[in-house]
Amino acid sequence: MNRIPFNIRLVLPAQLTIMAIVVVPTVILLWLAHTDWQPTQNIPWFDAEFYWFWNFYDLWYDERFINSVFRTLFVVATCIAVELFLALGLALLFLDEWPWRKVAVSIIILPMMIIPVDAANAFFMLFNERGPINHLITVITGEVFEFSWLSHPTWAMVPIMLAEIWQWTPLMFLLVLTGLMNLPENQIRAAVGLGASPARIFFRVMLPLLVPVISIAVVIRAIETFKIFDPVYILTRGQPGGATETISMYMYNGAFVYFRMGYIAAAALLVLFVVVSVCLVLAKPLRKHG
Amino acid sequence: MSKKSIVTDRSRRKFMQSAAVGATAAVIAPSFIMSPRMANAATLGNVHIEAAKKAKELATGRNITLKVLQPSGSLGNVKPVADQFTALTGVAVEYLEVPLGEITQKILLEAVAKSGAFDLALPATFGMPDLVESGILVNLDQYASKYEPEGFQDDALFSTGDYYKGSLYGYQTDGDTYVMFYNKDWLENSDENKKFADKNGYELKVPDTWEELDAMMAHFHRPDKGMYGGALFRTQYFLAWEWWVRFHAKGFFPLDDNLNPQINNAAGVEALEEMVAASKHLYPGARTNGLFENFEAFGAGDKFCNIGWGGTQKFLNSDKSSIKGRMAFGPTPGGIVDGKLLRTPYFNWGWNYVVSSVSAEPEIAYLLTLYACSPAMSTVAVRDPDGYFDPFRGAHYEDDAIIKTYSPEFLEVHKASMEGSIPDLYLKGQGEYFDELRTNLGAADAETKTAKQALDDTAKSWERITRRMGKRSQGVQWSFLKSIYPSSIRNRLK
Amino acid sequence: MREQKTWQTVLKRTAVIVAAVFAFFPIYWLISTSFKPFDEWANWPPIWLTDNPTLQNYRIVFFPDLAREFAAQQEGSLDYKVSGSAWNAFKGSAIVSVAATIISVAFGTLAAYSIVRFKTGGKNYPFQFLTVRMVPPIAVVVPMVVLFSILKLSDTYFGLILAYSAFTLPFSIWMIRSFIDDVPAELEGAAMIHGMGQFRAFLTVTLPLVKGGILSTALFIFILNWSEFLFALVLTAGNVVTVTLQVANYVSASSGKLYGVQAAMGTISTIPVIVFGYMIQRHIVRGLTFGAIKR
Repeated sequence: MNRIPFNIRLVLPAQLTIMAIVVVPTVILLWLAHTDWQPTQNIPWFDAEFYWFWNFYDLWYDERFINSVFRTLFVVATCIAVELFLALGLALLFLDEWPWRKVAVSIIILPMMIIPVDAANAFFMLFNERGPINHLITVITGEVFEFSWLSHPTWAMVPIMLAEIWQWTPLMFLLVLTGLMNLPENQIRAAVGLGASPARIFFRVMLPLLVPVISIAVVIRAIETFKIFDPVYILTRGQPGGATETISMYMYNGAFVYFRMGYIAAAALLVLFVVVSVCLVLAKPLRKHG
Repeated sequence: MSKKSIVTDRSRRKFMQSAAVGATAAVIAPSFIMSPRMANAATLGNVHIEAAKKAKELATGRNITLKVLQPSGSLGNVKPVADQFTALTGVAVEYLEVPLGEITQKILLEAVAKSGAFDLALPATFGMPDLVESGILVNLDQYASKYEPEGFQDDALFSTGDYYKGSLYGYQTDGDTYVMFYNKDWLENSDENKKFADKNGYELKVPDTWEELDAMMAHFHRPDKGMYGGALFRTQYFLAWEWWVRFHAKGFFPLDDNLNPQINNAAGVEALEEMVAASKHLYPGARTNGLFENFEAFGAGDKFCNIGWGGTQKFLNSDKSSIKGRMAFGPTPGGIVDGKLLRTPYFNWGWNYVVSSVSAEPEIAYLLTLYACSPAMSTVAVRDPDGYFDPFRGAHYEDDAIIKTYSPEFLEVHKASMEGSIPDLYLKGQGEYFDELRTNLGAADAETKTAKQALDDTAKSWERITRRMGKRSQGVQWSFLKSIYPSSIRNRLK
Repeated sequence: MREQKTWQTVLKRTAVIVAAVFAFFPIYWLISTSFKPFDEWANWPPIWLTDNPTLQNYRIVFFPDLAREFAAQQEGSLDYKVSGSAWNAFKGSAIVSVAATIISVAFGTLAAYSIVRFKTGGKNYPFQFLTVRMVPPIAVVVPMVVLFSILKLSDTYFGLILAYSAFTLPFSIWMIRSFIDDVPAELEGAAMIHGMGQFRAFLTVTLPLVKGGILSTALFIFILNWSEFLFALVLTAGNVVTVTLQVANYVSASSGKLYGVQAAMGTISTIPVIVFGYMIQRHIVRGLTFGAIKR
């Protein structure tokens, strides 16, 4: 033990914990992904039949898997675009000091303090056929609107994405606001002095200066949104017929509803590989700041 | 209806045993199935007392706690019975609650983990094949031959799901058969009756066939006057169940003897086309509403018919429903096969008591399931108005509290349906087979696929699933399952 | 000009109010449902504010026995036979979250210190921790089930603690690293000149200076643990229950989802998160961006 340098000993506990819970499972994953193991076969996982690369071959032709990948990418892109747009708009409202400003910020960031499962439950009630959203539409249009959002193959994605956007726009807002408050004031003042219009100042001066902060915010939110599971599980579980399955939900259903552990392990390995490579590229903005 | 045929079928249990032997002789040595029943003092009337006695003997001098893994919301059914068991035997009972939809998953993970976390569990019956194959369930044959009184399973109105490849793995403890609900006022209205008879050549009645039902829904569907043909489910999850009945009523098994899907034959396509056509005569919420919304929708009283379970009746027979007391009930409609009416009521959910193979006390755990499913104690369990368990034994239909909850008219139909219910597809991978069916039926109902296309696609996927699950092993269970379809139906299905 | 400015201000404040309403409305609905009697949960038209507020939902959550007594006396109130109260879930969440937070922050502090002061592993070393956070948990859940079955950790507190610790370590390392980074190394150097060992210098000089930051990190990690759902769902089987799992347990055959009880459970269980969240509001941005953006 004493031969190990002091600084290495300091990182060991953290490193070993992560090895135990991330690296070891990844090794198991590597094996499982090349078997067709299912608990319903009543054989231990290490005795499973070796399956070469057939799982990956099957995945390639598995419409449900491919769809879930594209659906997840769509969710990530949409949610982040909307969150960013709303966050920028909101942040601009908070540039100057005014009474109650702090209180207003506190209320607006409340959604990100709610346990995601509970937030999803709230949205489950809101988008119930007999919930307030349908009631509002009924009141506005004057026609009874008893639409079940959550069992419609296309529309069920809307409450899921809204829950995600509702919960995480506040974070995006805080990030952008922080960025805005830290902008060098003299440049903006100079622009104002030159008589530039507010819109011009925003697009020509502020936005370019915000790019580093925004890119960090987008990368971090993209990583988190890519994992989206809680709202999908609570709101639809991927129903109807897989129409709302994101990658996480697809893998959950495959592994824990159909019990195709080996097959899902292959999907997991694929996702792991792609995510880690993409993230290493995306993490650049973080790297600059770190 | 089918009751007579079952009774004349020797005893049902014995029949099953012989079927089991036939089906599995090649694979499973049927030693204890064939062994004569041991001398056993228990009868149907006192089996709970005998079971408790035996459990007490086995537990003498030891502190035993049994853990029951159950779907959340079923405690009202389980606890009153378990409390009495504890009082009689000194064996304590603890409960592990998991979310309703997770129970099969939790039991299956236990098959991997083997942690001994629970002794008994209450999975949904259609999940049993997966659980048996995983090795987590105790084969109960040895205990049944020791403790089960003569006729115990004959008295249970539906026990098909308790058996897998010829052996007993659990006791059905919930009667979840599909039943029809009708608006009695509309059915008995003489003006309507005349109008309907003029057009169709026969009078309004509780329909015997799907064809009649579809005609009546079409007749009553007048959305401009606030009248709707029906409240049948059209969300994807439920869709498969209605089609399953419509298809069987045309006289076919879903698979042939070689496990080739028959669902995409002409009858299947016709059944699907008829179902899609009937969608036009449902209230607007049908395509999107789930179970709870369905009760309420029919409870409003402006729809001709509905489909559902005992739980549906619990709601419709309560003060929350405006149609209480104004309903007629019927079994799910049938079809005319070879000139004769064929009814195929359908048992599509239900909870089942099973024993974990990792349990340290499987025998006492078994005795608790026997105790809980005995006529006397299961009556106590079914009585709970908030629980899931619906009547499933003869005794339940004579209990005043149960009669009050469900109404006598409903129970009559329910009992008949229970006695002649076709099972779900109790094969390994049931969830995959059915989800594939659901998705495709949903596409047909949304008219993005033709009926033929949807069923062909399903059949193709089914073949793939069967191959993956192991055709030989699936074949053993399928021929066994076929052999325990109610005989009156089995003999008429192709 | 001035008039235009006032007009603008009014518009801006109105926009803020609208945003605040949107932000608060789902929470309002959660809270308001938690006080509704059961026949108002799925009423049409929906009941926006109940005229008959009841505590029965909360009673079912915390005092099921009291709730049943109450239901017996009071006609028309919900009777629900849950096995135990939600205390078990609160206990489970507390044990798991606190223990995992302590482990994560302790290990994280050591590692962060080593990384900042010794440049351990070089420039890219800290990034391998981040990778852990980028991996979707679902991708490691299947092999974790297998691993836990080997180690007999399924459905145990320790198993869940281990999982939570590992998956929050990236946050604690990166956050604490950013706090330690703010303290000049020279301070420790000065202490060392007085004969202190390096690690002691860290403990006596730097640690007190970053203790606020470490506390914030701890609260932040606690929030993550308390809110976690997927691992809890897959790695437990009824013995260990967390607050996020308990919510899903409130269903019954006759009423379907028990909206009101779920809402009551949700409201109570989310309170610690809100309280701690506001306490560390200043640091939340730093936390969620792995210390990349500081306030």
